[in-house]
Amino acid sequence: MKDLSIPVPHFGEKEVADIELRIGDEKIQYSFRVESFPWDVDDDLNIDGDEITRSLARIHRLKKAIESYDPEWELIQILTPDDNARFIQVLYRKRKKLARSS
Amino acid sequence: MIKTEELTKIFRTDEVETTALNKVTMEINKGDFVAVMGPSGCGKSTLLNIVGLLDNPTSGGLFFEDLEVSKFRERQRTNLRKGNIGFVFQSFNLIDELTVYENVELPLLYMRVSSAERKQKVNAVLDRMKIAHRKKHFPQQLSGGQQQRVAISRAVVTNPKLILADEPTGNLDSANGEEVMNLLSELNKDGTTIVMVTHSPTDADKAHRIIHLFDGHIVTENIKHVL
Repeated sequence: MKDLSIPVPHFGEKEVADIELRIGDEKIQYSFRVESFPWDVDDDLNIDGDEITRSLARIHRLKKAIESYDPEWELIQILTPDDNARFIQVLYRKRKKLARSS
Repeated sequence: MIKTEELTKIFRTDEVETTALNKVTMEINKGDFVAVMGPSGCGKSTLLNIVGLLDNPTSGGLFFEDLEVSKFRERQRTNLRKGNIGFVFQSFNLIDELTVYENVELPLLYMRVSSAERKQKVNAVLDRMKIAHRKKHFPQQLSGGQQQRVAISRAVVTNPKLILADEPTGNLDSANGEEVMNLLSELNKDGTTIVMVTHSPTDADKAHRIIHLFDGHIVTENIKHVL
């Protein structure tokens, strides 16, 4: 078993789930957040093309959203959107501050 | 070491055309440890198969050590794979009828390595992977973790420059999975370039760079850095 699934109640946008994991004497802290980026290109891109054009436009916009995201957070997983979804959800984890070796 | 330029792979049937990779451009340097992540069907394994010269792209460029290989024929791809690229698969892909020793020896036989040298290399790698005590066993007599150690032994016995691993811990429990990841990290520290497809963020954390694929596109790359 490598992963634990933890139900997180009322986990809204902009909220951060801080998780402290203790294994014996070891303590590990994680912070996660889920962002919703626009996925439906009908709203403001004025796309009239076929599905390939629309798919490219969606990917392009997703890339831009990820590129401009807070660099203190690292992308962990892009979740698969449902058909006709208007938003795509992306899981981020706060980067750990690594000690610099001298 | 590996460069792709607008690499595209389209699978066609009579009725459907599926773009598995869409103009993927990336570079993998010597000594890199790269994880490729993304949801099922996003093109991860297709990318690994093309980079590993198991398949040709539909269009775009593929360079292996500055050699353009995207239009290589099967025989040319096979010759280039020998001794240069080792594969590790989720389901181990060992040959059930061969012993551990014979499975690991196989790539050396294909490379026409002498009997004495084969013996020395196989024993050395089995010792290193801590599986020498099982060399006369058959794959079905081993645990999943042991089978994957044999598969890694087979992948590295020719001392390849590149290891491609497709979900290497996907069929393993956490302890064996961690052991396999530690082995891959050790090989990388010794200079082997590794490209690994994974669904596991934990495994991807071992890599220096994470490429996220989505719908056949590279959406982003995470490079581990100190804040």
